[in-house]
Amino acid sequence: MHHVIIGNGIAGVSAAEAIRRIDPHSAITMIGDETEIPYCRPMISMVLEGALGPERLPIRGRDFYASLKISPLLGERVTALDTDARQVTIGEGRTISYDRLLIASGADPRPIKAEGCDLENIFFLRNQAQVRRMQAVLPDAREALVLGGGLVGFKAAYGLLRRGLKVTLVIRSGYPLSMQADETAGAMVLAELCRQGLDVRVGVEAIGFEGGTAVRRAHLSDGTQLACDLVVVGKGVLPAHSFVNRSQITVDLGIVVDAHMRTGAAHVFAAGDVAEAVDLARQTRWVNAIWPEAVAQGRLAGQNMAGRSVAGTGSLGRNVIRIFDLDIMTGGIVSPEQEKGYEILQCHDPRSHTYRKMVFQCDRLVGVVMVNRIEQGGVLLSMIQGRIPVAIDKEKMLSPGFNYAQLLP
Amino acid sequence: MKQVVVHPERCVGCRQCMLACATAHSQSQRLTSAVLETPRPKPRVHVGVGRLEEGFPNRCRHCDPAPCMLACLPGAIYRDTATQTVLIDADRCINCASCAMVCPFGVLRYHADRLAPAGKTVAVKCDNCIARQIQGLVPACVEACRTGALTFETLDQAMKRKTDAVSRSMSTTAVEAEAPAGVSLLHQIKKVQARLRT
Ligand SMILES: Cc1cc2nc3c(=O)[nH]c(=O)nc-3n(C[C@H](O)[C@H](O)[C@H](O)COP(=O)(O)OP(=O)(O)OC[C@H]3O[C@@H](n4cnc5c(N)ncnc54)[C@H](O)[C@@H]3O)c2cc1C
Ligand code: SF4
Repeated sequence: MHHVIIGNGIAGVSAAEAIRRIDPHSAITMIGDETEIPYCRPMISMVLEGALGPERLPIRGRDFYASLKISPLLGERVTALDTDARQVTIGEGRTISYDRLLIASGADPRPIKAEGCDLENIFFLRNQAQVRRMQAVLPDAREALVLGGGLVGFKAAYGLLRRGLKVTLVIRSGYPLSMQADETAGAMVLAELCRQGLDVRVGVEAIGFEGGTAVRRAHLSDGTQLACDLVVVGKGVLPAHSFVNRSQITVDLGIVVDAHMRTGAAHVFAAGDVAEAVDLARQTRWVNAIWPEAVAQGRLAGQNMAGRSVAGTGSLGRNVIRIFDLDIMTGGIVSPEQEKGYEILQCHDPRSHTYRKMVFQCDRLVGVVMVNRIEQGGVLLSMIQGRIPVAIDKEKMLSPGFNYAQLLP
Repeated sequence: MKQVVVHPERCVGCRQCMLACATAHSQSQRLTSAVLETPRPKPRVHVGVGRLEEGFPNRCRHCDPAPCMLACLPGAIYRDTATQTVLIDADRCINCASCAMVCPFGVLRYHADRLAPAGKTVAVKCDNCIARQIQGLVPACVEACRTGALTFETLDQAMKRKTDAVSRSMSTTAVEAEAPAGVSLLHQIKKVQARLRT
């Protein structure tokens, strides 16, 4: 049995480990275009910030591949996949056959449509190589522009602010974290960002850049121009599946998988940021591009590839973000459309800077937003994940004193 | 292998376990001087207030597989296989709260800790008093609990005690209740009080 894994991110790594736990002998080949030892992608912004060095990023030992008897093909890219012939093509034409294949190729930053995007010093923040390139220009950079008010945009803006740059954050929607949080939480975050010295522009986007070889100026959609010598684009990600033949494998936004992480093609699995599984809150297919899902899906795929039939229950989009002095935890459906019969309870205490919102569908919790006092958030998110009917007074769940004990019979 | 078993029906909400826990994780190991230490020692067991205002000693279950271990971004959470204890490496922890996001019991807290790098906020939770266990002592919360709501025993033993109690309460000759009489009475009163309030 030959297992081939495309991608050496956390989904691929978790899958390889799961296969090895069950099957000590089968051959495993991992193909990844990043050459570093498996590392923590979410922490790269801390290297940009200067809080830690790149040596702190690895999450597995140097001997990861050897100790699990994995043949690594690093610095190589898969360019084609033929599920009829059961082989993948690497680079210019070398092929590798598989018995079981896992697509764990993750996601790529969503490109922007703006003039002058190819100028120097306009970066994405997705991998270590990009951080190294940014670090090289940091000494000469004064004014940074960060596009995107999501997780990556924040982390980039925070990192650059810490490096002493003047940072402008440009957000297309009306408030930050529009994909993760609701308007109230977004307004709290916005106030905090401004308080900490960020120049935040909401409701606008960059439409063009100019400069000689390197970027010097940005044009925004509201007509303003901003001087900048470093730009970070953090406008979300898109699943990385350009090598997939759509007539062989069903692809929606991500690669569609069932509860066993199987794709539409025989013996081919997908996991992590590239995969689209059923979302537990929405009860429809959804790409939840977050670390804990990549781990869970990778493990599940590995177990099934090794022959143990294990079904997952579905994925759940959730995030926890600490921004300066604010802690935000969100999950599930946070800004539901009015007409669909959702019940919304919320409680905002501006004095203590706390906010809690819960979205219910009949007797099930389907969405949570918390600003500060987030310690009990996991209890609530687990209720969404487990689709556990709420048997207690829903108002109680909003109270700051809510804790696990209150769910006991 | 012995582990801490929680018997919520016996908890009277006195919070002695919290004090004992904070003390056990202090420098001085004495309550009177522990309160003067910086960082101030904090408990890793949390007595939550239930719907009827009854207490519930909530602590890490050391789940297997542990959701926090899988979700931790830098891989700071690991398992000590000898004691089946889920532990957090304070040096590696980046205070991202991913563990709180996935913990179904809500047992994680974030603060400075004596054993963490100075001034660093880290994730803190129950460590099964490994340091005490090495000295042959039972976990501090168990030692402090006067009502038997926290015991240190093998799960088999705990199960057997439960079934014995059930069979005793079924038989007509013995009528010993599961929780001590005083505790049962207290719970009854709390229930009535709660009903009167609503
Ligand atoms: C700055 C930043 C901060 C983040 N913060 C958080 C956070 O706080 N919490 C959270 O939950 N998530 C966070 N994330 C998201 C998280 O990193 C991802 O969800 C996770 O890394 C996904 O893992 P993966 O293995 O599916 O994909 P990836 O980590 O993207 O790994 C896929 C690998 O496959 C390689 N690859 C792709 N295509 C090919 C090909 N054709 N051939 C060969 N190799 C290929 C890629 O180069 C990559 O190395 C953050 C991401 C970033 C960038
Ligand atoms: S707060 Fe620390 S222990 Fe918890 S998930 Fe983050 S790094 Fe891991």
